[in-house]
Amino acid sequence: MALLKVKFDQKKRVKLAQGLWLMNWFSVLAGIIIFSLGLFLKIELRKRSDVMNNSESHFVPNSLIGMGVLSCVFNSLAGKICYDALDPAKYARWKPWLKPYLAICVLFNIVLFLVALCCFLLRGSLENTLGQGLKNGMKYYRDTDTPGRCFMKKTIDMLQIEFKCCGNNGFRDWFEIQWISNRYLDFSSKEVKDRIKSNVDGRYLVDGVPFSCCNPSSPRPCIQYQITNNSAHYSYDHQTEELNLWVRGCRAALLSYYSSLMNSMGVVTLLVWLFEVTITIGLRYLQTSLDRVSNPEEPESESEGWLLEKSVPETWKAFLESVKKLGKGNQVEAEGADTGQGPEAG
Amino acid sequence: MAPVLPLVLPLQPRIRLAQGLWLLSWLLVLAGGLILLCSGHLLVQLRHLGTFLAPSCQFPALPQAALVAGAVALGTGLVGVGASRASLNAALYPPWRGVLGPMLVAGTAGGGGLLVIALGLALALPGSLDEALEEGLGTALAHYKDTEVPGHCQAKRLVDELQLRYHCCGRHGYKDWFGVQWVSSRYLDPSDQDVVDRIQSNVEGLYLTDGVPFSCCNPHSPRPCLQNRLSDSYAHPLFDPRQPNQNLWAQGCHEVLLEHLQDLAGTLGSMLAVTFLLQALVLLGLRYLQTALEGLGGVIDGEGETQGYLFAGGLKDMLKTAWLQGGVACRPAPEEAPPGEAPPKEDLSEA
Repeated sequence: MALLKVKFDQKKRVKLAQGLWLMNWFSVLAGIIIFSLGLFLKIELRKRSDVMNNSESHFVPNSLIGMGVLSCVFNSLAGKICYDALDPAKYARWKPWLKPYLAICVLFNIVLFLVALCCFLLRGSLENTLGQGLKNGMKYYRDTDTPGRCFMKKTIDMLQIEFKCCGNNGFRDWFEIQWISNRYLDFSSKEVKDRIKSNVDGRYLVDGVPFSCCNPSSPRPCIQYQITNNSAHYSYDHQTEELNLWVRGCRAALLSYYSSLMNSMGVVTLLVWLFEVTITIGLRYLQTSLDRVSNPEEPESESEGWLLEKSVPETWKAFLESVKKLGKGNQVEAEGADTGQGPEAG
Repeated sequence: MAPVLPLVLPLQPRIRLAQGLWLLSWLLVLAGGLILLCSGHLLVQLRHLGTFLAPSCQFPALPQAALVAGAVALGTGLVGVGASRASLNAALYPPWRGVLGPMLVAGTAGGGGLLVIALGLALALPGSLDEALEEGLGTALAHYKDTEVPGHCQAKRLVDELQLRYHCCGRHGYKDWFGVQWVSSRYLDPSDQDVVDRIQSNVEGLYLTDGVPFSCCNPHSPRPCLQNRLSDSYAHPLFDPRQPNQNLWAQGCHEVLLEHLQDLAGTLGSMLAVTFLLQALVLLGLRYLQTALEGLGGVIDGEGETQGYLFAGGLKDMLKTAWLQGGVACRPAPEEAPPGEAPPKEDLSEA
């Protein structure tokens, strides 16, 4: 009992081949789109690699790029096959290759589906690298004289301005590190000496934040220093003030940005996967219906196309048996060679 | 009546003309599309920067005119593509015979006119940007502190975002902030002696400081941003006088915005010029193709040589014909005056 049998006359076959040819060229376009999406994600990850400790995983964009290229190659090949399928002479050339080609297509579809799933699931590793990277970035904020780290201040400032965020989890992270370089501290001042003596590591800690944490929507000029001291500023209560600085932490902001990017890419990849599955099914029908025709040597006749020659469990049994036969076949050949040599020698 | 600028067009050159016209038409479509994108981009930019241009500024007329001109150029290009394709195929040409004439007139008058107007605007309007920006930026800076006055409450956010995005400070430099009160009076402590002194020190009673808002800060500076007491050289000791002062953005927003908008207008103007050239070529080619095929009576594949021309008679004859035809239509008792070029001379002599 064949699986999902459909009758095909000549006109239907021609229509199927033409439709598949068109769909394959659209699929090449979709492959290019996936390639460019992967490239875009790779560039975005590279842009912010400074705050990701340079250890972020590029698995998702690399696999998208690879899938895009493979999709272009396979679908242009399939388009050529569909174009030749209407001419029996040309089709005879392709016949022996079609079964393995379809097997490869099925494999490709499975891998494409897995890649689409990865787009949705690999968010967790990004969160860890971001947390570590931002922590280090803030630590090196003041090292504008150290070669190799002198760009960190600019990077963090522009990050906070662009993503509208402050600190790792919030603005209080800035209170725990020294973000003002020793070079710009007046060590003769009593206030500086007191602050440095007040903690074990001898760091100059302030309850202040860099200017890039300031929120332009605040009605009053930005309060950057003495944030927790209500009496230092007129009509100010730091417990209720919400608009002065950005409230969100940069880790959450960057994570949500990359998550939305990867989610939309995952959705696009799933849609392309559905399209590819349709094309593979159509190609299978075309192959089986054309195979049935070529035997009686009458190109205009009706034929049947199906997905699988027998039902699924029978096909699986047949597949297992053919694998066993392959193994037995090698054994039988080896024994035959031995016995053949035996009588000759003997 | 000698036709104006005649050109003999046997079959092969006719085909070449049609093919070349097809290519030029697609280029015109591309140019029209690019103009649509560019003027759309300029319109979006002007929407964001609208508060910094004086309300009386005419500059937004440029992208609007360019948008319409681009759409007409796109349409002309598509007509050219269709007509040149049809002129190579005998089955497709007959429906085009009737419409091609009026379309050419519309394309020349409408499209050409619009492009000329848009080009003129592109050359004339950027000059008025200077004053408009001066007035607009001055108003915005003055209203920076009015975060609770209805109608101006967005000024602070917009100016801050402008300075952050375009990397500029003040109108022509950071010292412009010293001349305006940018701290809202609501957050000034009336019991503070320093505040009272500052307010009393000037005629208008403004609280002026030698400080700037945070959005003027330059992230490239190696030291944390210095925003206050900028005129006091002893307040912030310079630790390395050899390093250039990167503390604040050096450019004024006036110069930055002027350059940005003038660049966009210049790009748009050059694209309009190229499209004007392309459209003229396409319309000329279409006219020659149309008249040559009319000479054959609409039969595409005719092997005969025909002439393509711009106008059937000279300009004077054309005007005379048009005027007389208009006169014939208005005359109460029409004589049997056959419409055509030769009889009008006899009519004149009779009249």
